[in-house]
Amino acid sequence: MALCTLLAAPAWAQQPRPRRPHRSGLWGEIGFGPGRVRVACSGCTDVVVASGTTGYVRIGGTASDRVLIGFEAFAFLHRAFAFSPGDSIRTAETATATVVVIWFPSRRGLFVKGGVGIAGGQFIFPGTTGADTSSGAGIGLTFGGGWDFAISRKFAVTMNFAAYVTAVGDVVLPGRRIDDVIATMYQGAIGFTFR
Amino acid sequence: MTASLLAVLLVVQVDSAQAPRSPRTVMAIGQVALINTFVNRVDAWVFKQDWARSGTRVWGQHLRLGWEWDEDAFTTNMFAHPYHGGLYFNAARSNGVDFFQSVPYAIMGSWTWEYFGEKYRPSLNDWFMTSFGGITLGEMFHRVSSTIRDNGARGRGRTLRELAALPMDPIGGFNRLLRGQWKGIGPNPAEHDPDNYVLRVGAGLRFAEGLISDSGVAKMGAVVVDLLYGDQFAQEYKTPFDVFNVRLILNSNGGFNMLRASGRLYGTNLNSATARVRHVLAINQRYDYVKNPAHSIGGQSVEIGVNSRWRVGSRGYGLRTALFLDGILMGAIDAPGTGLGERNYDFGPGVGARWELAVERHGARFLRIFGQGEYIHAVSGASADHVVDVSGVELTIPITHGFGIAGHTYVFNRRSRYSDRPRDSRDYPEARILLVWTKAGFKP
Repeated sequence: MALCTLLAAPAWAQQPRPRRPHRSGLWGEIGFGPGRVRVACSGCTDVVVASGTTGYVRIGGTASDRVLIGFEAFAFLHRAFAFSPGDSIRTAETATATVVVIWFPSRRGLFVKGGVGIAGGQFIFPGTTGADTSSGAGIGLTFGGGWDFAISRKFAVTMNFAAYVTAVGDVVLPGRRIDDVIATMYQGAIGFTFR
Repeated sequence: MTASLLAVLLVVQVDSAQAPRSPRTVMAIGQVALINTFVNRVDAWVFKQDWARSGTRVWGQHLRLGWEWDEDAFTTNMFAHPYHGGLYFNAARSNGVDFFQSVPYAIMGSWTWEYFGEKYRPSLNDWFMTSFGGITLGEMFHRVSSTIRDNGARGRGRTLRELAALPMDPIGGFNRLLRGQWKGIGPNPAEHDPDNYVLRVGAGLRFAEGLISDSGVAKMGAVVVDLLYGDQFAQEYKTPFDVFNVRLILNSNGGFNMLRASGRLYGTNLNSATARVRHVLAINQRYDYVKNPAHSIGGQSVEIGVNSRWRVGSRGYGLRTALFLDGILMGAIDAPGTGLGERNYDFGPGVGARWELAVERHGARFLRIFGQGEYIHAVSGASADHVVDVSGVELTIPITHGFGIAGHTYVFNRRSRYSDRPRDSRDYPEARILLVWTKAGFKP
């Protein structure tokens, strides 16, 4: 029996170990890409849609072989935003800071993510003494998915598709108030992942 | 469509009459879809509700316009929706799916309902409350109903147990009925026996100032139910909600008055498990619903903090403390001038903290002194910030055979700061005198 054990041991040791997802241990990711925002508000009969630039940073750790937990900061920027054709807003910025959970359903690079946290929105428009700012803060949610393309053991290029929902409260513009603003951003981005 | 979907699920369900060993994900997804289809069709065909008559044109409109805030009543948004979310969650749990993998069922069940189940535009607050509240209430109901049910019981007692669990976990009860588990004898699931628990039921009088009118003290009947399921000092962390606590208050004026539940998502010992002074780090998911004629407040929160226990003597007595910080993912609070349209309360995220000092024996508290402060920043409703603080003392004096007398005092204070109107500050003190009955299980 001891001989059998000795003979069997090397064979057992040579069995391929299950391949771990690309990310393990401490990891970080930064990415950029185009985005589209849809802004809705209470009492508005339609929504405002605009395109802009997005960027994000994610850092985190590994909860299990297939589940990562991290922190994500995301921002959307649009330089010619207006709630209506008459508005003279120049810049709209929206950002979220969320705790995200990333799940790899298989041992390939496919992942889905979800997160919740805080959000902020800032609208800069021409005022009587230069530029005035209206800002709000509130709730941020994110859902999405993507794919890690492993370049090396420590580095991957990551495709991301995500939605970010930000509820930032009222936005006060010259002469009017826009109530209960909800901005939903859709992002397609390329990221660079390090671990 | 509902009938055919039901028929397919019934065939598959009855075909496999044993308790699930591996998750039945297809069945769980089918039941989530069935819940939405069933609720929608019953509202459309039986109750003739116009809002339920959604179709492809409405779906397209919803996908184009996206989220808004709704104007539903406080109880609808803060209790009925989380309960509904619990149905989605427990469609997964009762089909053998674990806690974390059941989370997407609550989120996607709610999302599909908001976009495709009704003519109203998708409501962000509904989605939030149904998803996160559904997780908390769903898991709590799943565990409590598993404790009530007993696969080893027989006869009328067995049926009564199944019926008692039904309001909390109707989907689980439905699945058990189809699988013949209302009568079949077999092993109980792990959730059936929490090892350590304290159930305390009290009935008596409640005295509240400002509860009915702004002047004078009102007197009314009250029932208070406290359940401590599991004990974080007696058992190591195994799975989410292996330790949770619930408080339910029913009131002769206003009926359903309070439901608070907090379950351990994660916990770890900060020192030796055999030390006389223990410290345990915990991350909890919390659900709050308080509604009475004086104030309404509720929300979904995640809290992190330390529970500590000092053993006193050798007969199980101890001193417990808790200190927690929390983030309110989305809260709701009423205040003069708040709300939107017909809604009379605000929605918003926030932060807060709570502390507690208690004298206990084997987990059953005899004296509790506690305080809690919360800040809510409104993002829908008034342009306002709300600060709430709650403090209280609860004393229970055991008499005999589990019975005792309890006295509670409680002060609720809130201050609201508006961008366009004067600040508002209000206090609501109340007291309760109760005859209580305590049943506890303790495994060292």
